[in-house]
Amino acid sequence: MELTKAEFDLSEIEYVSYGGEHHLPLIMDLVDQELSEPYSIFTYRYFVYLWPQLSFLAFHNGKCVGTVVCKMGDHRHTFRGYIAMLVVIKPYRGRGIASELVTRSIKVMMESGCEEVTLEAEVTNKGALALYGRLGFIRAKRLFRYYLNGVDAFRLKLMFPRMDPPNYHESTNATYFTDHEMTPGADSVTNELEFHADMHGN
Amino acid sequence: MAKKSESERIGVAEELISPSIPSGDGTVWADVSHLLDLACNDLQNDELINGENFNLFAAMSALEIMDPKMDSGIVSTYYSVDEAIENGAAPVPLSFDRTMDIQGLIDIMDHLLSCEATWHKGGSLAQTVFSCLYLLRPERTSSHSLLHSFCRVIRATCNAVVSAVSDARTNEEDDIFIMAYGLPLKGDGDEKCLSMLHAVEETISRQLKACKAQLSKRIVVEDVEPLQTDLGLEQGFCKALLCRLRFLQHFYHVLTCMRRPQGKGLELAKKHIASCLLELDSIRKSEEFLRTTRACRSLEDMLEDKTTASGCQAIGFDSTLNSRSAAPTPPRAIRLLSWKKAVNYFQKLLHDLEIICCCPLDPVFEDALRFVVDFQKLQPDLIARAHIQLLLVQDGKLYGRDPIFAVICKASLLPDETKNHIIQKNEAVVQLGQLELAFRDKFGEIARTSIDQDVCLKICKHMLIWVEEQTYWIALRFLTLGFELELYSPNEYCMVYWYINVILIKLAEKSHLKIMLGNDSARRKAKKKKDLTKDTGKDYQIPPPVLLLQCYIYVAQGLMMMLASSRNQHKVFPCVGPFNSERERFIQHFELLQKASLPDHASYFSFRETTDHVFFSSLAMHNCFKEAHKIAKELQANFAGDPERVTELRRLQQVAEHNDVALNLLRRLGTLEPSLRISFEFVHHPHFAVASVKRS
Repeated sequence: MELTKAEFDLSEIEYVSYGGEHHLPLIMDLVDQELSEPYSIFTYRYFVYLWPQLSFLAFHNGKCVGTVVCKMGDHRHTFRGYIAMLVVIKPYRGRGIASELVTRSIKVMMESGCEEVTLEAEVTNKGALALYGRLGFIRAKRLFRYYLNGVDAFRLKLMFPRMDPPNYHESTNATYFTDHEMTPGADSVTNELEFHADMHGN
Repeated sequence: MAKKSESERIGVAEELISPSIPSGDGTVWADVSHLLDLACNDLQNDELINGENFNLFAAMSALEIMDPKMDSGIVSTYYSVDEAIENGAAPVPLSFDRTMDIQGLIDIMDHLLSCEATWHKGGSLAQTVFSCLYLLRPERTSSHSLLHSFCRVIRATCNAVVSAVSDARTNEEDDIFIMAYGLPLKGDGDEKCLSMLHAVEETISRQLKACKAQLSKRIVVEDVEPLQTDLGLEQGFCKALLCRLRFLQHFYHVLTCMRRPQGKGLELAKKHIASCLLELDSIRKSEEFLRTTRACRSLEDMLEDKTTASGCQAIGFDSTLNSRSAAPTPPRAIRLLSWKKAVNYFQKLLHDLEIICCCPLDPVFEDALRFVVDFQKLQPDLIARAHIQLLLVQDGKLYGRDPIFAVICKASLLPDETKNHIIQKNEAVVQLGQLELAFRDKFGEIARTSIDQDVCLKICKHMLIWVEEQTYWIALRFLTLGFELELYSPNEYCMVYWYINVILIKLAEKSHLKIMLGNDSARRKAKKKKDLTKDTGKDYQIPPPVLLLQCYIYVAQGLMMMLASSRNQHKVFPCVGPFNSERERFIQHFELLQKASLPDHASYFSFRETTDHVFFSSLAMHNCFKEAHKIAKELQANFAGDPERVTELRRLQQVAEHNDVALNLLRRLGTLEPSLRISFEFVHHPHFAVASVKRS
């Protein structure tokens, strides 16, 4: 593995949308090299065959130096994008390549009608947390011992602006004994709160 | 294009299995060897056959045959438990050399301790404790009284743990595998396990005594049979065995005592915990002896991962044998906790259980709640969490003693006689007893339809305020937990403190109202008795618990204002990104509170309205930190008997003091020195930050 920083001009980096089976080994090599979790070829195929438009590769002088793999779909009545893998090899880090890759995917998700984008990142991965923080992601939850190595993860979320934001404050002026209607969706509120507490309890 | 040729190939494969594979009940087993042969000839490496009920998503969970981590059908050494036993994998006795038999037995005990700890931490029962072949065939060990009684208590202990966890229902999917999947968790006669273990223990302790007598008086006691043949090692082996047997004995007692109704066994459990901890210490101390007596000494650095004190591999274990029959899903390869880590785990568990045993069992809601909150700070593992849950609510009563309705009556500061009122049968109140949210309209209904309107109305009024107070308390806890879980980034602190401030104000309001209503009831009662006409409301003072909330309000408000000024004046902590704005962050962080209207009118708009026009110059008029500091100082005397509150007040004082200094600095130099850099750190309090100002 190259440990020294590569010298290059950012304009030399070429970003390419997933173009077919010839890109698959490139993506697999990068991810195998850099990420801890092992994936079989079927995992990659699932993502790149169903959502080729959400996967991008970064090349420098013909060499693949970074990639992003994503999906999108319905999740609890929300159309949601999900960033599955993001890798830039070490010599090319810190120059904004990962930001550019992930930004391209997020743009496509937004144009495709996604309401939000999510992903998980290790709590110790300061670089990734900073990157997603700059893009507007919030840390929505802490997932206790999420990875096989025992490290916690943050669930990061990015919500796109809504055209007609919900108004939760229509039922106001409730006094103690008047008929006060609970806001719709109150059930899910309880579940989510419980979940939040449980996570800490662990 | 490669992609095209790929799908064409998949198309060919699909024709072969046409019509598509039926799914559901009509599925029949068929020999597919011929089909596989054809497919193998046609498919390239890594290609797949795309069937109607086998899509790309399903392919992700495909098993790779002959991969030991995935293929649970793979035969590692033996096909079955019986085959393993036939091949001598779990001999009884462990060795005909009696010294080796005892050494092997101690290794088994240690390895089982590691297995048990790993199971508690989320490993499957089949791959941990029940990887022990001796446990899987209980009848085989009956001739070996030591091994036999030890195995029985292990099974009984596992059973007690499973029943506690499943009764408490506090486990999540990944926490612990309570499913036994047909493992022999209950053996015939296991209920007599303690008397068996006790008999064995007595024999060994007699041997130990004899051993000591022999050494000191140098005489041979003939009627006691030594454990093994090397008399120089006899004492060491006796001790090593005894502490292991006694630990298990006491641990089983701890588990059963803690399950006695109404917390009646807690005192006894405490004694057994103390004994357990002593034995655990002796177990630790036996390590050196066990290691030096063995020939199979490993390298020092390797020992850290070993599952036995001696460092030798225990015999009679095979975690792969159960994997085929044990669970519906292929098991993941697991790593057992080392023996050292297992000992530490049990020590921590026992300390946590000890704290539960020290619960004062007062039927006071606030105390119970505080007890749970304090307990949670220790980050107890699942077994301890299950036990606190079992203690708290038994038969719908707090600690199995007081009906929840009575506890809530007391918490709402209602007079004592209300606790037997018929209203407790009302559905909404019953739900409240189960700690569900009670709804306002339900309370209204009770008030309208009841014959006994006056008392009902009073109960509803008190309880509603109590429910609101508790709800705001939960909302506050929800917000402050975010700091502990590191969910907020500095550019979100301002909105978080704004929300905390809003919730605190409501909480203080409800707490105050509850106390006033309670006082009111008490005063009326006193008036009736003594017929006093004097008005007692003249020298009214705000009650200390409300003042404490006021102190928090000032700190939260001060931080919110300071953060808002920094943003407005110094343009630090911007909250913008390429895809969304601060508004979306606000909605995401507080969506749950917003949906529940906690409180009414709290919105992103009101947050901006409060914070958009705050500048350091305007903060001079009203210094929140000074006020907070003053209250915290004054309150010290009120909470003198409560060391935790005193510590909390001191922390608040420190936060207020440091922030006051920082605020003054920023106000005086802020506009003159644009190079000033502000950062926020949680050095004095986990939820309230302290500003640090530096020149960059």
